[in-house]
Amino acid sequence: MKKGLLFIISAFLLMGTLAGCSGESAQAEKTKDGKVVVDFWSFWGSETRRPIIEKIIDDFNRSQDEVFVKHTYLPWGDIWTKNLASVAAGNPADVIINDINSVGQRAENGQSEDLSKYIDDSFKDQFYPHLWETVMYEDKAYAVPFNTDTRLLFYNKDAFKEAGIDPEKPPATWTELEEYAEKLDVKNGDRYERVGFYPLWGSIGAASWMTSADGGKGFIQDGKLYINTPKKQEALQWLLGWKERLGEKTVQSFEAEFGSEQSNPFIAGKVAMWVDIGTFYTQIRDYGNDMNFGVAPIPAYEEGSGNWSDGGGFVAEIPKGAKHPEEAMKFIEYLTGPEAQKYWAMKNYDNVANKEAAEAVVKELKGDDQYVYEATVKNLDQTQLFPVPTQYPDYQNRINPHIDNVLLGKTKPEKALEKAEEDVKKLKKN
Amino acid sequence: MKSFETPIERRGADLAGKKEKTLHRRLSRQTRENIFGYLFISPWIIGFLGLTLGPLLFSLFASFTDYNITSRMNFIGLDNFKRMFTIDDLFKTSLWNTLYYVLFSVPLTTAGAIFLSVLLNQKVKGMKFFRTLYYLPAILSGVAVYFLWMQLLSPSTGLVNTFLAWFGIEGPAWLFDPEWTKPALLLMKMWSVGGGMLLYLASLQGVSNSLYEAADLDGAGVMQKFIYITLPMISPIIFFDVLTSTIGSFQIFQEAYVMTENGSGGPGNSLLFYNLHMWNNAFEVFDMGYASAMAWLLFIVVMILTIINMKIGKKWVHYEGGDDK
Repeated sequence: MKKGLLFIISAFLLMGTLAGCSGESAQAEKTKDGKVVVDFWSFWGSETRRPIIEKIIDDFNRSQDEVFVKHTYLPWGDIWTKNLASVAAGNPADVIINDINSVGQRAENGQSEDLSKYIDDSFKDQFYPHLWETVMYEDKAYAVPFNTDTRLLFYNKDAFKEAGIDPEKPPATWTELEEYAEKLDVKNGDRYERVGFYPLWGSIGAASWMTSADGGKGFIQDGKLYINTPKKQEALQWLLGWKERLGEKTVQSFEAEFGSEQSNPFIAGKVAMWVDIGTFYTQIRDYGNDMNFGVAPIPAYEEGSGNWSDGGGFVAEIPKGAKHPEEAMKFIEYLTGPEAQKYWAMKNYDNVANKEAAEAVVKELKGDDQYVYEATVKNLDQTQLFPVPTQYPDYQNRINPHIDNVLLGKTKPEKALEKAEEDVKKLKKN
Repeated sequence: MKSFETPIERRGADLAGKKEKTLHRRLSRQTRENIFGYLFISPWIIGFLGLTLGPLLFSLFASFTDYNITSRMNFIGLDNFKRMFTIDDLFKTSLWNTLYYVLFSVPLTTAGAIFLSVLLNQKVKGMKFFRTLYYLPAILSGVAVYFLWMQLLSPSTGLVNTFLAWFGIEGPAWLFDPEWTKPALLLMKMWSVGGGMLLYLASLQGVSNSLYEAADLDGAGVMQKFIYITLPMISPIIFFDVLTSTIGSFQIFQEAYVMTENGSGGPGNSLLFYNLHMWNNAFEVFDMGYASAMAWLLFIVVMILTIINMKIGKKWVHYEGGDDK
């Protein structure tokens, strides 16, 4: 009898809480004037970004009679877990901003809605093709690209002049990069006061250089592994060469200083050439004291092998089981349309996915703003995205330690990559 | 209606009736009290069932499936457990890193805390100041401390290496060298033994002076007194500390997550601890089934170690209460 009572009590309490939950969400589905509420989740909550996205939402809401977008800010990181939990619970947001490189992974795992019925060729043609490719899973689109990035070589023109290099001729190949770097080094006894270049600093990693050496072929392409290839071994050896030239100690002590992020070593004049994403320019602009700099595509492995860059970005998608997919799609169309994209790009100095918007921004910007932005837009042609392959979701974590070991001088590139390829093979999911 | 022959009979019947009544009333009061009791603790019971036991059992079940949170949940038997030992090389790395950390951090922090507390138990002027000083690091919270230590351990400009350089020692690259990342974490851990120290200090002050006086009379030295009186007297606290810090050390996660770039596991995966690997599986690749299996394996490992600890503990822990209970 006691147990029975306990059960009844808990059941009542539980029902009470559940009723509370469902009551709330039922209320939120329409506004007072009968518009359908679209719940939009983003992680743009910073002082700079929030007003920008909220202005875009406002503009959209004002143009609509039937749809009202409500912005929900969730912190970076939390937003993904919360999205998963809400998809599993069947009560997700209507639109969410998510990572571009894992669209396929989410599609495979049934976490996002197939958008292909809303999309025709003229819609698709608005976006850069390399971005559009990543939102496709089994020939269906599961997201719409929003923004992206690309990497450029930033170089210090004053340092170039000082070292007797023509500042209008940035290095175009790896060989030139090495030559220039040596000229740009400034040493005081054993200590480096300025390092010309180090390939693993900035916003670039070993994988990108290895891909570039291999003619732009990544570790995994179309389900096949290209980890242990002669060119990738060579690139790894090349990276090791840089480390040996500067010495372990120099590299580590420079890196430890970047870690604190108090001042960027390129802006501080401690490194003469630096690979970073386009928005890095805003740091130079704001903190660089009129630094005299130039930008160029990342040098190619050899002439004609391509100035490959990695890219990333974000997409707008509809979580699986969203209540108002049609209304959500209307908002996505606006969010990724030329008007909103241009506003976003101008205000954030960000590369956007919409071609028309990007070109309009290039025209409207002035001076250095325009110079760098135009370079990034041009660079998108040579930018590749490496979406997480659904068969090998965790492959990077298997390869990276082996690359680390080579750079620490513990094993040879051939051995390490052979082992890395074996490790990744073991991961394969069917 | 009954009629009673004698007053005694009547009285007996009355008593019986009374007894029955009070018994009945008491029973119902007890039940009532039980109901109220359960009602009062129901927030906890519901929380426990819904938020602890439920998810726990669910994760046990999930560990035998390929659960990915949203679309898949097929029963795959022991495949997840097999995968740990056959396919997943990082599993071994992470287990080894964690064991290494537990093996060093538990004895070091315990010894460090005891040492400090004995020092701070001396009767010297201004002791309160020193006690506060050594306890202070323990009140600083996680992430801020990690960032502080990342700066302290910076190879060329960090205070630690600057200090070492005074003695002509060239400090290692700490968090950048796979050989030194774990010692770096241990060093950081040693810095904040203040919490444990406080426990020992309290128990040290509970050790009766008469024991030391008796030992003095017998001519015992300082070390002898420490080994034969102090240690046995505070052994219950040592036991408690070892037990909880072993469990705690197995759960190391935050340090590695914050101090390595986005939880990648540090140079050469030298800081890929068990929980970090589990977290990556759960929330990076959404392999929740596998992550659940890892969690349960860790649970079993920690439980076995705790049981062993308890068994060994009986041999060396001295309880003043007499019988070992």
